[in-house]
Amino acid sequence: MNHLPLSRRTILRAAALATTSLAAPFVRSVRAQPNLAPRGKMTLAWHTNIAARWIDPQQHDGTASPDNFLFALHDALIKNFREVRYDHPALADKYEFAQDAKSATFWLRPGIKFHDGTPVTPQDVKWSFEHYYGAWSAVCKERLDGIDLVDDRTVKFHFKEPFLDFPILLGTGNVCGAGWVVPQKYYEKVGKSGFMQKPIGAGPYRLAAQQPGIKLEFEAVDGYYRPIHIKQLTMQSVPEAATRVAMLENGEADMIYFVPGELIGRVKENKNLTLAPVLSGNWWLEFPGFQDPKNPFHDKRVRQAISLAIDRDAINQAECAGMGRVDGNWINDDVEYGMDWPKWEKNLSKAKQLMAEAGFANGFNVDWVTPVPNYYSRGERIVSQLQAIGIRSKLQVMERGVFLKKMQGGVKEWPGVQIIFNVTRIGGSWANWYDAMFKCGGLQAKDFFCITALDDKFKSYLASYDRAERKKIAEDIQRTILEEYYFVPVFRHAFVNAYGPRIAAAKWQDVFPTITSGYAYPWEDIALKDTAATR
Amino acid sequence: MTRFIIRRTIYALITLFILSLTIFAVIRLTGDPVSLLAEPGARDEDLARIRNEWGLDQPWPVQYATFAWNILTGELGQSFNYQMPVSSLYFERLPNSLELAAAATLISFLIGIPAGLLSAVKVNSWWDNLGKIVALLGLSIPGFWLGLVLILFFSVWLHWLPTSGQGDWRNLIMPAVALGWYFAASLLRLTRSSMLEVMRSEYIKLARLKGLPGYAVITIHAFKNALIPVLTLAGVNLVVMINAAVIIEVIFAWPGIGRLLYEGIFQRDFPLVQGVVMEAGIMIVVINLMIDILYAYIDPRIRLTK
Repeated sequence: MNHLPLSRRTILRAAALATTSLAAPFVRSVRAQPNLAPRGKMTLAWHTNIAARWIDPQQHDGTASPDNFLFALHDALIKNFREVRYDHPALADKYEFAQDAKSATFWLRPGIKFHDGTPVTPQDVKWSFEHYYGAWSAVCKERLDGIDLVDDRTVKFHFKEPFLDFPILLGTGNVCGAGWVVPQKYYEKVGKSGFMQKPIGAGPYRLAAQQPGIKLEFEAVDGYYRPIHIKQLTMQSVPEAATRVAMLENGEADMIYFVPGELIGRVKENKNLTLAPVLSGNWWLEFPGFQDPKNPFHDKRVRQAISLAIDRDAINQAECAGMGRVDGNWINDDVEYGMDWPKWEKNLSKAKQLMAEAGFANGFNVDWVTPVPNYYSRGERIVSQLQAIGIRSKLQVMERGVFLKKMQGGVKEWPGVQIIFNVTRIGGSWANWYDAMFKCGGLQAKDFFCITALDDKFKSYLASYDRAERKKIAEDIQRTILEEYYFVPVFRHAFVNAYGPRIAAAKWQDVFPTITSGYAYPWEDIALKDTAATR
Repeated sequence: MTRFIIRRTIYALITLFILSLTIFAVIRLTGDPVSLLAEPGARDEDLARIRNEWGLDQPWPVQYATFAWNILTGELGQSFNYQMPVSSLYFERLPNSLELAAAATLISFLIGIPAGLLSAVKVNSWWDNLGKIVALLGLSIPGFWLGLVLILFFSVWLHWLPTSGQGDWRNLIMPAVALGWYFAASLLRLTRSSMLEVMRSEYIKLARLKGLPGYAVITIHAFKNALIPVLTLAGVNLVVMINAAVIIEVIFAWPGIGRLLYEGIFQRDFPLVQGVVMEAGIMIVVINLMIDILYAYIDPRIRLTK
């Protein structure tokens, strides 16, 4: 492995609003209306219960859910923002990532304050990072050599070795909370539990009231460094999808998350409502234990035949009203080094020919096809489509927790001939996907695949500090997985949301601006039609 | 009497002990909660950290001892999901559940008892057949379906009532009807059969022979006695409505205990599920204990029977 030194690359960014073309008109409008005051009230119907930990960035669980709340209540040094994936300056108005990737310096915006009026200081940044104990905290702490408080605005992180993923981890809201700043003194005073009851952040909205698990009521703060359009924001937990749709139709909610397939048509037919199909997780087929020569999936031709037999467009149409995306990779393209791959061919005669060549002209029996709960209808479609090439299988229905437990148990939990219809959405980097889903010993890979040559390449990737080399290795590994049909990608489903007539938006992407998050944001930019008139 | 009370109290404690063991074991059979508390790509050290943080790496006897101690102290443990004492969560939601259960009970009374009474008095008539149909529909229409139909009709089409959530009295109507409907049917059937039984008794015949008017026989003599099993059932129904109105509370986004239980089960929040089940169990056991003692006080044969 040739470890080339990093090409000298300094990332130095000025205030973010002026850096993106999309934001530019917004900036102009803000200048035209310097006295814009937030007005009106908006209600969001959230699709599950609201976990208290989601409003505390210190215990970010690494899932997508917390960022919906963090973006309202808290703020980070840098963060994902519209089409900027992770390094949009937020509390820090500029930052510098050293050329050797061994340090990073952040300059805080002047005059920024927490909701209780205390200033956001470099000490708060240092404390928040050092005391962070959520997802990826072990990696952050392993790599950290120390944090210097340079002056009353500047904080500098030092790493023991080059830490190329540091800005990605710090700035991706649905991966890690280490870069989200909490007030040290207040947190220490009230403790973890007290903070979850009455959190104080530096975001555009302060928490005015909460019913744990049920409802959060936010109020726009004065003096936030960006204009805020809506005065009161309520996030209400409504687990039943039909009720959420009824709320939207009735005007009780302005925005709802997760419209399931059977209700999409109803929302689509209503001219007052707008669907927002945000591309989300990728679905693929995997064959645990295929390394066993007795397993029919050991033969690459069988795996390829399965790929040729799957009607991806039909699944997308049936499951997401065609609003998902059929492409080629099993890794999302919104993560670092996630590569594009062309759409897979559907060719039944070629599939049958490959099955015959592999010695399965009459097909074979698969013990179970198991889709990720509770997307059982998707599994049924796979079962039915595979019959066309003689693969006879049954659908296995599992409760979500049981499924996850079995996934973490390895091949012994999946005896015989099995197909798993898996899905995930992991932010940040392609490496997180490989590490969790494919690597030998990975959380949901265990001993399912164990391709030593690829795992060795992955080790080289992790050891390399050369970006070009890393990209090459990343693409090489992804290409092999696809060309060898270790995974058979199916489609990328849409997380379908909807909003009502009061929301001011020319198109749904204005409210759900990026595929990095499935949720609406930035909250301060979202406006109601009556308030939008004041822009 | 004292010995009777002591004996019954010991039985009640044994029942609660068995309940605690059962819920402790059963909830653990559902799988590992850590897989739901961690992110999809969680690393092993993150999983270990979460397991350690919640004491899930301890042996089961140790975990049970902690659970038992939490019951005794009344805190019921700390919810994984909310990171709050389960007792705080429970008692925060209890008034909402009481409100809904009281309204649903009222509706079940208003529908079930008059209809049952009418069915019994006019047995095998058109009224009786109507009552049977109402009872059949009440018991067979699933609460979730009725709830969604009510939302569609009264909220989406007519715009008369809010779809969900807790607010003023209008928010209460649909969940109370959807919840009370089933219990109204069961009350209807019990009122009818109880009334029919009483109406066949000798003292009712005597009352009629004495020349009492029909309404007096029914309301003063028959109905009061027929009401005893009905009220017993209503008491049990009330406890069920308070603690287990899971589907209705989820559909109407009603912030009650049923929904708390649903969230606990969905997230494998062991302390939350254990706590809610234990609270419900304690409520039922205490009510039964009180009824037993009351019966024994009224009827000496009960306390003297070994």
